[in-house]
Order: sequence, then C-alpha cells, then structure tokens
Amino acid sequence: MEDIVGGWWDRLVRRAAYRGHPAAAVELEQIAGQAPLFFRAMGGDPALVLRSTVGTEHGARRRLIERLAGTGTKVELAWRDSQAFYLPDKLDLYPDAALNRQLYFWLMALAATPVPPGDWLNRNRAATAACLAAMPGLALVYQRLVTGLLPMRPDPARLPAAEAAVERAIQAALRQPEIEQILPAIAQPPLPVPLWLHPAPPVVDQAGAAAQHEAQNPQGKRPDQRSRRRRYRAQRVAQDERKNGMLLVFRAESLFTWDEYVKVNRHTEEDDDNNGEAAAEDMNRLSIAQDAHTKSSKLKFDLDLPAAAYDDSPLGPGLKLPEWNWKQQRLVEDHCIIKPMLPRDAHPAALPDRLLPLARRLRRQFQALAPERVRRSGEASGPDIDIDRVIRFMSERMSGVAIAEPALYQAWPPGERSLACLTLADLSLSTESWVGESGRVIDVIRDSLLLFAEALSASGDAFGLYGFSSIRRQEVRLQVLKDFAERYDDNTRGRIIAIRPGYYTRMGAAIRQSSRILLQQPAARRLLLIISDGKPNDLDHYEGRYGIEDTRQAILEARRDGLLPFCVTVDREAGDYLPHLFGHRGYVVVQQAQTLPQVLTRLYAGFTR
Amino acid sequence: MNAPLPAAVAAPFYQAQGDECRLFEAAWQQQLPVLIKGPTGCGKTRFVAHMAARLGLPLITVSCHDDLSAADLVGRHLIGDGQTVWCDGPLTRAVRQGGICYLDEVVEARKDTTVVLHPLTDDRRMLPIERTGELLEAPPSFMLVVSYNPGYQHVLKTLKPSTRQRFVAMSFDFPAPDVELAVLMQETGIAESQARQLVTLAGQLRRLTGYDLDESVSTRLLVYAAKLMMSGMSTQLACRTALAEPLSDESDTIAALLAVIDTQFPAR
Repeated sequence: MEDIVGGWWDRLVRRAAYRGHPAAAVELEQIAGQAPLFFRAMGGDPALVLRSTVGTEHGARRRLIERLAGTGTKVELAWRDSQAFYLPDKLDLYPDAALNRQLYFWLMALAATPVPPGDWLNRNRAATAACLAAMPGLALVYQRLVTGLLPMRPDPARLPAAEAAVERAIQAALRQPEIEQILPAIAQPPLPVPLWLHPAPPVVDQAGAAAQHEAQNPQGKRPDQRSRRRRYRAQRVAQDERKNGMLLVFRAESLFTWDEYVKVNRHTEEDDDNNGEAAAEDMNRLSIAQDAHTKSSKLKFDLDLPAAAYDDSPLGPGLKLPEWNWKQQRLVEDHCIIKPMLPRDAHPAALPDRLLPLARRLRRQFQALAPERVRRSGEASGPDIDIDRVIRFMSERMSGVAIAEPALYQAWPPGERSLACLTLADLSLSTESWVGESGRVIDVIRDSLLLFAEALSASGDAFGLYGFSSIRRQEVRLQVLKDFAERYDDNTRGRIIAIRPGYYTRMGAAIRQSSRILLQQPAARRLLLIISDGKPNDLDHYEGRYGIEDTRQAILEARRDGLLPFCVTVDREAGDYLPHLFGHRGYVVVQQAQTLPQVLTRLYAGFTR
Repeated sequence: MNAPLPAAVAAPFYQAQGDECRLFEAAWQQQLPVLIKGPTGCGKTRFVAHMAARLGLPLITVSCHDDLSAADLVGRHLIGDGQTVWCDGPLTRAVRQGGICYLDEVVEARKDTTVVLHPLTDDRRMLPIERTGELLEAPPSFMLVVSYNPGYQHVLKTLKPSTRQRFVAMSFDFPAPDVELAVLMQETGIAESQARQLVTLAGQLRRLTGYDLDESVSTRLLVYAAKLMMSGMSTQLACRTALAEPLSDESDTIAALLAVIDTQFPAR
C-alpha cells in the first residue's frame, strides 16, 4: 500500500514540478534531416556531426516543488566542440510547438557562429548579437523566444543580492544582447539559459572512442537506432592500480554518487540486455578505464590474429604510405605500411549457382553497354549524307511520289569510351554484422563483387577488385582479388569467394594505394569505387574526425590526380559524414543491403552513359 | 582595326568584378581564344554579350549539347532543289563575319566536335572545311570564346586537356557581396536593405555547395527573387519560388532551405 501511494505521490509531484510542456515537445529526430544543412548554411564547420546531449547538472537554485520532487537538477543545453554540435534530444520549454522548433534553429545558428572572447555570459551575448545583426529574420524569432522566456526566469527582487545581480545581468543580456554586461562573481550558478550555449561544455575527451567501438561492436549488436546519436559525458580515468578491486558486500547506499569511479571486483557480464545503456543514461559522467578484462567478443577478436601459417599470404614486405594528421594539418610521410595479400584457402571456383540467373542477365545488359561505333543511317540529321537514301529519294521525287521530310543523313552515335574501374571493398570486422534476412554484410559484399565482376568483364572495360582491412598503422591489409592485368576467371572468383571479415577500417591508406594502382591504368577515365559499411576507424587514434579527415584528404588527392572517387555504402548514418568526404554527388547510400549488387551495376551503367 | 571600338550605346549591363574587361579586350587584340569557367548564373554569358557590344563585334552563341556534331558547328550540305546546297554553320559564319563565336557549356559537346576548334585556336587561325575543300582564314577581329561550368557536370565529362590548353582561361565566381548588391539594385531596382538581405542569404546558401547542394543559388536566381519582390510578391514566397525550390527536389532539403530563408525573411 505504501509503495503504491508513494508511486502516485511521486508521479504527481514530478508532474507538478516539471517545467516543460510535454504536449508541445519537439524532438531532435523531427528536425534531424534539416539540421546539418541549416547548421552548415549558418557557417558551421561542415565536418561536424549532429549529436544529442544528455542532461548536465546545473547546480542552480531550484523551486521548492522541484526540490520536493527531486527533479530539475539537470538541464540539456546545446554546445559545439571540435567533433560535433550537440542539441537537446527534446525541447518542450515553450507551450507552443512552433516556438520549440524555432528554438532548435536558433540554437544551431548560435552554435554555428564563431566563439567570441569573454566569460560565458558575454560569449553568448556577443554571439547572439552577431546572429541578430546578420539575420533580421532570426531577430524576430529571437524576440519571440525571449518574450516567452523572461516570465520563466526567477524574479531578481526575490533573490539574494548576489544572485539577483547575476540574474539582472542575464536578463539584460537577453533583452539587449548588443550591450556588454559585467558578470558579477558568484558561488551559486544561476538558472541555466536555454537560449544560450552551454556555459562550460563538458570535455568529451576520448568518449568518441568508446561510442565508436560500441558502434563497431563485432557482435553486430548495436545500441538501438534512436540512441545512436546520444553522446554520454565521459572522462577517461587511469586504472586504479593501488589495490585490488573492492568487493561490494553491502548495498551501495554508502557510495555517494552513481558515477564516482570505484574499482569493483566483479566479472564482466556478457548479456545483451541494455542495463548498461540505461545506467549510462542516468549518469552525469561515464568513467572509462583500461582494464585487463575484456568482453569475450573483444578478446576473441584481438587474439584472433592468426598464426603466420594460417594467415593470408602476404606479397612482399609492404609499402609505406603517408597519412593526413588534421590536428597538425600536414601529411605525415611513411606513416602506414600497406601489405598487399592474397586470400588464403582460395581455390578456383565457378560462380555459385544461386547467382547464375542474375549474372546471366547482367552480362547481357553489360554486353549491350560495350562501346561500339556504328554508323546509323536514315537519321533526320547527321554529319553525312546517306547517299543510298538520297538516290532513292531523288528517284521517287522524279517519279512524282512526294515524301514529307525524308531522313537522309547518317550519324555516328556516341559510343567510344575508355574507362578503368577499381573497386575497393571494406572487409573490416564490422562487415560481419547481420543485415535483415539476407545474411551478413560481408556476404552481400561478396555477392556484389562477384556479380559486378561478371558485369564488368562483359562490358570489356578494364577493372580491378581489391579489399582492405587494417590493424593499426603497421598493417593495412590490401587483399588483391583481381588486379588489372589478370583475367576474370575461376581463380579470381575463388579469391572473391574466400574473403573473410577481420580487423578495422583504415580507409585513407587503402584509398591512397588504390589510387596509385589505378593511376597506372592507361584509360582516359578512371573510376575509384569504394564499397563501405561505416566510418573509417582503427584501434589507435584513427577514428572520429581524425579518420574522416584523413580519408577526405586521400579522396582529395585522388581527385587531384584525375581519378573519380565514388562511394557506395550500406551505412544508413552515412549522410552525416559522406557529403564531407565525397561531396553531395559522390556517394550513394544503399538503404537495403540486399540490393547492393543491383545498385552497383546500375550505377556503373549510369557512369558509362 | 585593333583599336578598341567606342562602347556601343546598348551594351548590356555588366558589373565588372575585377580586371576581366581589360583582360578580355587584351586577349581580343592579341587574337587569343578565351575559356571562361564558372558556376551557373554567375554572369558568363552576360559578360560575353557585354564585351561583344563594347567591342562592336557580332556575337554568335552556340549552346552546346551532347548531340552537337562538328557539322553542326562548321556547316553541312543540305539537299535542295535537285542538288545539294552548302550551308554555313555558326562557327563558319562567325569566322566569315569576323565576330565572336561563343560556345556555351562546351564540355557538353562531344569530344570529337571540339577538335574542329583546334586549328582555329593556335597561331594558324584557320578553319578547314573538309566537305567543301575550303580553307577559311580567320580575320583579325574573329575571336573564339568557350565557357563551361566545372561544378555540376557528369563526373565523367570534362574538357580534353589538349583542347583546354589552347585557351587563356578566366575563372568566374559569384560576385563579392558589394558587387552583387550593386548588380541586384541595378537589374531590378530593389531597395538596398532588401538587396542586402538577399545577398547575405545567398552567402549562407552558398556555404552548402558541394555538401548538401550540387550548385547553390546563382546571381541570376537572386535577380529573379528580387524581380518577384518588386512585382509585389511577398518576400517569403519570392524566396521560396526563386531560391529554395529551384535548388533541390528533396523535401527535407527544401524545408531546411526555407528555415535558412526564414532567418532573413521571416514569415509574418
């Protein structure tokens, strides 16, 4: 009985204490499609991706009822750092949904303006003033937002003197952002301003790494789509080496907070439930430490480095390649070693039976694509006169038969092309994840490569097939499935069938090497087709923006050399970063992985038109 | 002959962004062919028309397309009354008249087509007409101008290096904000404050080129928007029809573009 009544009371008081307007809430998902474009248009760095924030504790004075309900301690504010721009998951500040929506756009415009100098109040105030001066339309929106916000702010008259001074400064800055304010020093933080950026954005340290690794989880288990964008506030902690993990023998009342880092001696659970995710949601800060225990999947993976006898056969000691360091803005020479390899256990094989019908159809289609210059007669216009028809026309005219507009010309329809295509497939371990009923990504890639090769060999264009994966910079593995000189036959088919997923995705090095190979081809147009399933990442710092920028640099180099890079991806989130890498028209996202073979061949047909 | 002619009275308005007019004139005097590159609607065609009028030369414009053959440029035999009649193409006509031949979007033409330009673009300045056996020598006032847009083309379509190397090249871009402001006000008579807002908006939308849009808003579209505003349409509607809808077909992108437009011209 006490429990039930307590539950009612809790719900009641929480609802009463809640400041927002859930009925008018606007979720980030609703504007996520427009947000990146808007952010870039406002001048935001195009390399940044959109993420949602979690609440951070603001420490400001709460109302009585909030203290009673134990709510209102956290607030979701927007901010921007070198990796991403962060927006609240949901906005329900105003009773009007349109206004909440406009608040999102306002926050993006604010986050996109360069950060002016000064304390947090004047930073926000100056950025606001800059936005308003540049955009009169936004100024109108801002007026509405401020008018709605001011009644929600505490009344300075009813605050202690020091807090009142700060509150007055904030309200004045909100009303007239163009006038500079002096921020009085104070111990108690003021109530957060939802129209401004985070006063002290959490340092997101290497949390990106954690999120990335989780996303690339080799078991293919991914946190559900909605929460993918969510960014937990994390800190990296050194492993406490002083003592053994403490044994938690009593319930955790004596632990003061949830999120303090304490080494606990307990085994790592392998279950798939999302307790961890739920806890992460509640925590202010995730502590991430390196310890010796790894989940078995991870362990299996890292120890999975095969003994030399069983590994793919390396072809030579490897080649040194540069890598782009975006923080230093320079190309680091000889940073990676790329090792061409042949897949082990590759036996000559015929095309699998299940692919035969589709392959036959593709062959027919691509034979039709094969360039031939044929003279077509009987055209209404053309560079040459069709003498036969002219003679016939003359004689018919002589004999008195009138023909309207005879087609008396010969034309050479366009046909010639000289094209070389290098296909580079991502064979990292993430391709082992499942896609719907059609099997793993790697199976789809394998089928696509087989079918694509069938089609290309029918078209008569030169082509090469390569796969790549990587283990740190010392070993970028480039699987030679078919090089340009080889015929496409049972041997190469066997190699494609033998591809296995493994390791990580150091995309930049693989692209650079592929570009070099492709550049040796004598064709007039050279197409570099990249099949990928996710962002570039590797075990070391090659992830997040580092990986993206290196890949972008490799692609820019390829463009400069006159190659045509194009990316086909099965990663649905690719819209976040691929425009930055390949440009708006340089990539295509395959919504259903099963259709990858068709997409590839259709694309190629489009290119050669 | 080589002295610049007095400016014609009805020269189309062109707001110079730099030295391009002098450069063009110098190229004409020195008998150099010119290649102009730049995004759609930044004023390439207007510039050529302006210069042709200023130099007092006849202008023959050919819009290239992928079916354009050499015969379309040079000329062809037509079948007339019981015989064949030779008919000059636009290029031959320009050579005979000693005017400016302007090939718009030249990369769209087939590659074998552009090869007929080669003898005209080096110091021979000849146009051999194979079919009639005629060898035309270009008069000093003849000038060849080609233009293309390096941005949006089909990935496999670019100008052959051997063709490209025969031209002096000028790169055009959208005018600087102040110049664009002057263009808008001159072309449409729009008030300065609104013109300034349009130019700021264009700056914002142009940041999206290459990321979300293939090609961003052109000066031409801005002029359209300003014209719609001048004819009494609401600013919101004018921007929507002239600046958002022409740029994309995806509803998400258009919604985002409208949000950007809202920051300059709010819906009242």
